[in-house]
Amino acid sequence: MSVRVEVNSQEHVVDVPEEWTLAALLRDRLGLTGTKVACGEGTCGSCTVVLDGRPVLSCLTLAAAVDGAAVRTVEDGSPLLERLREAFTETDGFQCGFCTPGQLMSALALLERDPSPGRAEIIAAMSGNLCRCGAYEGIRQAVERAAGATA
Amino acid sequence: MSPRLVKSEAVVEGRTEERWSLVEDDHTPEYPDGPSPAPIGVAAQRLTAHARLTGSARYTSDIQLPGMLQAAILRSPFANARLTAIDAAAARAVPGVRAVLTPADGFAPGGSAVLTDAPAYAGAPVAAVAADDRDALAAGLAALAPEYEELPFVAGIDEALGRQDFTADPSEYERGDPDAGMREAAASVSLELRAPAQMHNCMESHCAVAAWQGDELTTWISTQGMFAIQAELADAFDLDLERVRVICEYMGGGFGSKDQAGAEGLLAAGLARITSRPVSVVLSRREENLDAGYRAPAQFTLEVGAAADGTLTAIDASAVIGMGRGGWTPPALEPVKSVYRCANVRAAVLPVRQNIGSPRAFRAPGVMEGVWALENAIDELAAALDIDPLELRRRNHADGDQATGRPYSSKNLLACYDRAAELAGWADRDSLKADGGRIRRGMGCASQIWWGGGGPPAYAEARIGKDGRPVLSVGMQDLGTGTITACAIIAAERLGVPVEDVRVHAGDTRLAGHGPFSGGSMTLASMAPAVRAAAHEVREQLLALASDRFEIAAGDLTLEEGEIRSVDGTLREPLTEVTGKLANAWIRGGGSRGPNPSGIAVNTFGCQIAQVAVDTVTGMVTVERVVAVHDVGRIVNPMGARSQVMGGILQGIGFALTEERVVDPTTGTSVNPGLEDYKVPTIADLPEVVCEFVNVPDPRLPTGVRGLGEPPIVPTAGAIGNALAQALGVRLHEAPYTPRRVLEALGG
Repeated sequence: MSVRVEVNSQEHVVDVPEEWTLAALLRDRLGLTGTKVACGEGTCGSCTVVLDGRPVLSCLTLAAAVDGAAVRTVEDGSPLLERLREAFTETDGFQCGFCTPGQLMSALALLERDPSPGRAEIIAAMSGNLCRCGAYEGIRQAVERAAGATA
Repeated sequence: MSPRLVKSEAVVEGRTEERWSLVEDDHTPEYPDGPSPAPIGVAAQRLTAHARLTGSARYTSDIQLPGMLQAAILRSPFANARLTAIDAAAARAVPGVRAVLTPADGFAPGGSAVLTDAPAYAGAPVAAVAADDRDALAAGLAALAPEYEELPFVAGIDEALGRQDFTADPSEYERGDPDAGMREAAASVSLELRAPAQMHNCMESHCAVAAWQGDELTTWISTQGMFAIQAELADAFDLDLERVRVICEYMGGGFGSKDQAGAEGLLAAGLARITSRPVSVVLSRREENLDAGYRAPAQFTLEVGAAADGTLTAIDASAVIGMGRGGWTPPALEPVKSVYRCANVRAAVLPVRQNIGSPRAFRAPGVMEGVWALENAIDELAAALDIDPLELRRRNHADGDQATGRPYSSKNLLACYDRAAELAGWADRDSLKADGGRIRRGMGCASQIWWGGGGPPAYAEARIGKDGRPVLSVGMQDLGTGTITACAIIAAERLGVPVEDVRVHAGDTRLAGHGPFSGGSMTLASMAPAVRAAAHEVREQLLALASDRFEIAAGDLTLEEGEIRSVDGTLREPLTEVTGKLANAWIRGGGSRGPNPSGIAVNTFGCQIAQVAVDTVTGMVTVERVVAVHDVGRIVNPMGARSQVMGGILQGIGFALTEERVVDPTTGTSVNPGLEDYKVPTIADLPEVVCEFVNVPDPRLPTGVRGLGEPPIVPTAGAIGNALAQALGVRLHEAPYTPRRVLEALGG
């Protein structure tokens, strides 16, 4: 099956089996291994990417479903994502970093949708992204900080 | 002086190990008294930030090698069974399948079989398949079509205890006369408490990639102990140590569970050898929760007696530990022996065997749940004696290690109590209870004890070349705790350069000599002195070269902010004024961790105070605030240290409120091996945390650094349990404190 997809502003036409997920397309076809699969069943948020502006679980999204769509991953170079990276660094919003690509993508989708979210909105938007190291305080502060810089 | 061998003790998660240590000449000066010299003690951002935040950090499961096969393990779905049929031939016939191993193949590297036809727990490895891609792999696994005869199984601590089947001989520790002590008591309490099986759930599951070149094996593996894996694989495949290279550059958490090659590591290497292709094995989340360890559940019985003034007269405790088929018995009653001064103690540990995968160390194994149990009892005792709970703890302060009679190298627990009480508003805790309406609040405290002194061997090498940017090679891995950044800080202080200018190479057994297992809160206390010594050797040489270059005595020169400066302020030249002349030469230094002082107990201490709110209608418990004050020696990176404390507190909250493996008694298998039903804390569960450190360097350890990985999880659940008891006026005896248990305790 041929899928035409824009990933981080680059056009790709890739041939993948029909049952493949978006996560597999990104990691195994395009070599974009920044996106992490930690549960493979949509329960942890690690594999979150931004699909046409919405945060989606790439482990549950079929590759076929992204034909003609635009996907952004942790490898993206957009200024807002760069601001989030700086904020996560300043607030120590990660430890092992395995859930971090998903955290960044959920935060990116939130701030694009709502440039100045309140704390409750941040917690709601980020509560599907598990972090076993417990970096949540830094994560929340980072999103607040990046939002402040945006506003 | 020539090097000499001395014996040194190091405590690894409660096990005292004697290690030979080569003592080298080391002229590295200790830090001056007073505040740590910058950048020690100054908040520093993680050096791994860019890699981890751009997706460029390559974790084990990201490794993709030419010709690499995917492999997976077929696991028993039954708690106890006999494999009666398996169709290896059918699996081998699947297009794209390159290798199949079943129990009949006798795959037993190092002498113990990895695959079994008598699986005695759900998740036990039965067969393995390697294939070109995931689709062929899935087809190959399906073609195996195993058939089993189900057998009776043992599930649950009560049943296991009834069978008197132990994974290790029950142990009984006794000092003084506990029976006489209990008779003397003016008040006593007796409690039975149940602690759950807590699952690690590292975000990165256990995984390994293996590749052979001739008779040399390279293994990428998510591990806390690359040198231990190197030794295990060398033994398993009968190779010289130097023919096994283990790489773990970036790692997605371990929390104690990644201490062995495991079936995944052994099968990756074995299948790679059979197929002459690189092989990757990545466990699924469900495999992870069936066969990669857990904090062993325990049933505690505690009787504690005290004189009217609160002085403890006796502690009589037992712990029945719910083991799997085997494994290391966690030191669950260590806290009973050591946290408080008590002359008369009995502590019996009974590790019982069940048909379930084996436990592994999980952040402060044994001690965390043991402190939880003890602290519940101490609070009950405080109520029985009508003494303030914190005051009762102060009155029973232990000045030395009571099991060995050794003095502590450094202990500032009383200061922790005082500061935590002040920060928490402990004096006003009774006012929290307020109106007795729907939402009730309470505050509770708990003490922390753990080891964390580290020890030899640990090696570091430092070098600097013409660009003036130091490079550090260390024999350790960073499982996400921030030890790489901490090492850079320590080197940066000696070399007078910004922390971010230090390049740290870690996570590869070929880089430097043996380094510590990242566990037992040992890493930094082991590595810091080695790094400091290595960097100091480079410093001395830099100053000697600068002395020649600028004709100023080396003793009158210093290194600061990337410059060579004279102490009188007349000279300020960039470091590259000296290193720039090196061309392709290097200035090198090496350092090693010296032995620990003998006859001394090295421990960490602390106190946490939790404030909870309970909804008496829904039974929901919310941790609103946690005050944490820990005594872990010199603080190297306050930002990283705070993050460790946050992580420990959140995992402690998980243990206290939501985390529990549930085993179906009719099947003997876990019903919640996924993250949908096994609930780890989310960002919505984050309390306000107030975190401080005593920050008194350990006077008996080189660099004064002790470990911090485990201490913060130790007291959290106990403090929450005690806060909940104050809020409700009734104590819950089983964790986690789920809404159902809260409502039952309230008689609802």
